[in-house]
Amino acid sequence: MLSKQERKPILGGRLSDESFITLFMLGVLVIVFSLACLVVPNFFTIQNIINLITNNWFVIILGIGVTFLLITGNFDMSVGGTIALTGVLSVYFCQGVNVSRNVLANGLGLPYVVAVCLALLCAMGVGGLNAFFVARLKVPSIIVTLGTMMLARGIAQVITQGAQRNTSLPPEFGFLGSVGIPGTTIRLSLMVMIALIILSFLFEKKTVNARRIYLIGANPVAARLSGINVAKYLTWLYVLSALLAGITGILLASEFKAGVSSRATGYEFDALVIALLGGVSIAGGFGSVLGMFVGALILSVVTSAATGLLLSPDWQYILKAVVTFIAILAQRFALDKRRG
Amino acid sequence: METKDNVLEIRNLVKDFPGVRAVDNISFDIQRNTIHCLVGENGAGKSTLIKILTGAYMRTSGSILLNGEEFIPRNTREAKQKGISTLFQELNVVDQLTVEENLTLGIEDTTFGFLRKTDKINKMIKVLNSIEPSIKPKQLVSSLSVAKKQIVEIAKAVAAESDIIIMDEPTAAISESEIARLFTIIKSLRDNNVTVIYISHRLDEIFEIGDYVTVMRDGKHIDTKPVAQIQDRSELIKMMIGKTVFEQYTPRESDCPDTILQVSHLSNHRLNDISFDVHTGEIVGFYGLVGAGKTELARAIYGADEYEGEIVFKGKKLTSGPEHAIAAGITLVPEERRSQGLFTILTIRGNIPVMNLSKISRNGIINDAMERNVTLDYVDKLKIATNSIEKEAAKLSGGNQQKVVLSKCLFADADLLMLDEPTRGIDVGAKSEIYSIIRHLSKEGKTIIIFSSELPEVMNICDSIYLLYDGKLKYTQRNGCEVDSEKILHIVTGGD
Amino acid sequence: MTNATKEIFQMKTERSETIRSYIKRYYIYLVLVLIVYTFSMMKLDEVEFFGRGHFLSPDSVINILRSAVPILTISGAFTLLMISGYIDLSVGSALSLNAVVFSWLILNGVSFLPSFVITVILGCVLGLFNGYLVMILRITPVIATLVTLSLYKGLALLIVPDGLSAIKGSAEVPMPGWINDYGRKDVLLGLPAAFWFTVFIILVLVIIQRKTILGKYTAAIGGNRLAAELSGISPVKIVLILYTLVGIAAALAGIARASYMSLGDPLSGDGMETACIIAVLLGGTAFSGGEGSVAKTMVGAIIIVCVTTGLMTVIPAYWQTLAMGSVLLIAVVINHLLVKGSTKG
Repeated sequence: MLSKQERKPILGGRLSDESFITLFMLGVLVIVFSLACLVVPNFFTIQNIINLITNNWFVIILGIGVTFLLITGNFDMSVGGTIALTGVLSVYFCQGVNVSRNVLANGLGLPYVVAVCLALLCAMGVGGLNAFFVARLKVPSIIVTLGTMMLARGIAQVITQGAQRNTSLPPEFGFLGSVGIPGTTIRLSLMVMIALIILSFLFEKKTVNARRIYLIGANPVAARLSGINVAKYLTWLYVLSALLAGITGILLASEFKAGVSSRATGYEFDALVIALLGGVSIAGGFGSVLGMFVGALILSVVTSAATGLLLSPDWQYILKAVVTFIAILAQRFALDKRRG
Repeated sequence: METKDNVLEIRNLVKDFPGVRAVDNISFDIQRNTIHCLVGENGAGKSTLIKILTGAYMRTSGSILLNGEEFIPRNTREAKQKGISTLFQELNVVDQLTVEENLTLGIEDTTFGFLRKTDKINKMIKVLNSIEPSIKPKQLVSSLSVAKKQIVEIAKAVAAESDIIIMDEPTAAISESEIARLFTIIKSLRDNNVTVIYISHRLDEIFEIGDYVTVMRDGKHIDTKPVAQIQDRSELIKMMIGKTVFEQYTPRESDCPDTILQVSHLSNHRLNDISFDVHTGEIVGFYGLVGAGKTELARAIYGADEYEGEIVFKGKKLTSGPEHAIAAGITLVPEERRSQGLFTILTIRGNIPVMNLSKISRNGIINDAMERNVTLDYVDKLKIATNSIEKEAAKLSGGNQQKVVLSKCLFADADLLMLDEPTRGIDVGAKSEIYSIIRHLSKEGKTIIIFSSELPEVMNICDSIYLLYDGKLKYTQRNGCEVDSEKILHIVTGGD
Repeated sequence: MTNATKEIFQMKTERSETIRSYIKRYYIYLVLVLIVYTFSMMKLDEVEFFGRGHFLSPDSVINILRSAVPILTISGAFTLLMISGYIDLSVGSALSLNAVVFSWLILNGVSFLPSFVITVILGCVLGLFNGYLVMILRITPVIATLVTLSLYKGLALLIVPDGLSAIKGSAEVPMPGWINDYGRKDVLLGLPAAFWFTVFIILVLVIIQRKTILGKYTAAIGGNRLAAELSGISPVKIVLILYTLVGIAAALAGIARASYMSLGDPLSGDGMETACIIAVLLGGTAFSGGEGSVAKTMVGAIIIVCVTTGLMTVIPAYWQTLAMGSVLLIAVVINHLLVKGSTKG
């Protein structure tokens, strides 16, 4: 029988498995970081440490959507394509009408704000398409999202004829991508990322809807019988994931003042990697956005250490694979040991 | 004394689980080349015995002699090799392969990996042909009916030269004419050097094809007799029930005339035109044995499965989907607690509040203190044995797991609580605790429907008893002293 | 349900099963005919790939079949793996890695046969590694093979010296001309040895699927794993073999590609896994396993090659991704309609 003692807030009580893994990976981060400082010249600088976070802001935003979907047991490999699509559309919608004989310089001439909103709507459309196939037709999410990724990127390529659109833009186009806190290098994109991370962490830990998402991943049958509308939640998550990708696309397009059809190639894989590094399990029902954030930092350290060691960028592929592989096994080992 | 040729001899067999003795010192023989029936209510120990014979469980003590030799199989494959094949209720055929391929699965002849058509295959096809000529060897199994798939499994067992074929409730999912065909097959099996152990609760079938029958009750062996020596159904039923003392049922003080649930002409793939009413505050019991349709009925009312017909709850028509049922005020404790009722990787605290998360949250944000308090309350109220609410649900005993599921449903604060097999696999102590919880709820004005295959359960606490057989509602009556348990058993085993 | 109704229902189900299976069996040939017909109606005079003539002109057909060799090789073994219920997303990277290694060997003086054998052994190892991750370490197939996708791609990129885009000949060290003998040079009916070897491989795979115990156990594991295990089949052993076969197929495809192009391009395999998936989907293989046909996947592969080569010439290159994505999603819908009706116990 439990005493009334238990009713007091749990301080130093038993950590949840999620928190345990997040702490575990935090420890791994510290170790990897220290190793990097030892091995790589000039690694331990303030600027470098700041870069670790700021260089990957886009993958972290993507990682939020991917993490929640992984918790339900589903993939979203379409986010890279959605970034490209939204970026290109945000340019195309507000390019001047009939200003040039070059087709790529002519657009629909809409106001920038309208262009952004429309582009985001299109992004959500991609999410809706994903949701239709996965939640309604029950097709494996890996296949579907590969297809929608190609669809989104394909549309971007068609609109840019395989290249990019970067002319006849309204003056306010570059605003979002360059605005920031004066006197620092902190830009809007970073602030958006931090805000989204904090929001999603609070969401995940505290809200009813997040709790239901974990339940869906833990046991979809029991979730349904407990009154959770699984299809509805999956739809929301896919649309959200696409929306996050869309926001990222808008920011990137603004930063580079161009809608590039090849933007964000491979970002979906990186988002998956950082989620896995952060302890999210494809088996469902387990994982944390904070863990994903730690995973992103680990990946950052590894890739920038590789650059610092003057390894060619081709090494990234091998490093990502090895790091993911080790992380999966290490997490499994740690959890087994903990559960005894 | 005639010398008996026993294919199977069971001596002082005992099987214990934590807290319960499922098989209690049973001894009997099964003669070769007979159809030996095994009957008994749920919890009598039949399925445990079968699981020991097929190697799924290890016996605690006692011995089994197969053809005179000690028989201790470690798994179903070993049991099959030694000569015992089993037809489970879940069909063990590969739909995407042909009949021929299924027959030879695992025992193919090959030359350098190439499948060869040898005499073995021809022999098996001949066996199949002699049993049921309408099944073509090249047919895909997916195109066969359930009954024919069963026949394929039988043919496989026969061709494997099994001494014993165990059939567990084989007639639950097949039509009458298919049953007749099955019986012809079973009889010819017996006439061709195979012993059949036939488990069924449909007593008419026992009389139709059984040579011998063994009755079990509460894990004990009651009697084994030639079927010819049994007078009629009621003698069999008396053996099955024995002197079980039913707790005195306390009649309800006042009747509530309001109808809270109206089911009209409910039908689906398993149910056949079921109609009934339930009054507010009643405890209704649906009693029936395997395959009667209890779970299907519960799920249909809950909206988890599709159906034709109409269900009206508190005056409003129910739309499909469990979330609507819960919103209207109905909850269900599902049949399989591990796979359907619990989130096993989550803790007790993670499980209990899930059906009513809005009650432990404000503005969509979960209040940790409320969550903990609610969980602790239910742990207290239902006496869930644990030293922490952070314990993983997977690690709890069956009884405590069921209490967690029950707490989950109670927290949803429904007006109608349905329970599907509420005390299956639970020890006696937890059982009575759950019963008193149910009685208490009824006193508070909740309406309760229990779907059960245990007669004492239904007779002890239900105000009304509804009997299901083969998807149909066969009989209803109010509970009271004049209830005849033999008559009830008679109806749920197929009588009129 | 009354007994009479039950029986009528059974009969009806059994009959509609037959109609459905007819559609399933033959629709793909219809699609192939349609595609070929459409393209043959188009004016392709300007296009060199089609021999400045008709879609169905000999030069055109030869070019199509030659470029189809890699996907034909891989998607066959891929089908077997999918029938058992497993997947390998690393086939594209494995192809690239094998192509790179093969051309590296040739460029560095190793003669054809040893290069061939070494590359095939490498393919074996790559496939076995995938199988090890999935069956022994029990990592989810999608994640395990996405990881190896990255790993193999990285290895291929590493082998190519910095500054070069592929392993190819240069003025100082030219690529031996006979590297083309296998993948490009006309050996019979205008088609190279690689093509005929692929035909042989396809036949082998079809025979494996239909006539050997490996094929049968593959379907059993994918169809009802429990029943298979109860019958004494070991899924671990069978699936390990299947992953190895896919690895070997990727090696053969890489060799053919390198031989055809006279160079080892570490990005040459990109998109192969998508093409394989589309081929398999069109061919009616179920994701859940148990069903599928190597032969039909081959037809699906030819369809894809026709579509991509046909489109490649008719529409600008930048429409390709959109086209492939749409084809994939259409194939998903088709596959869903085909497989939906099948009973799964």
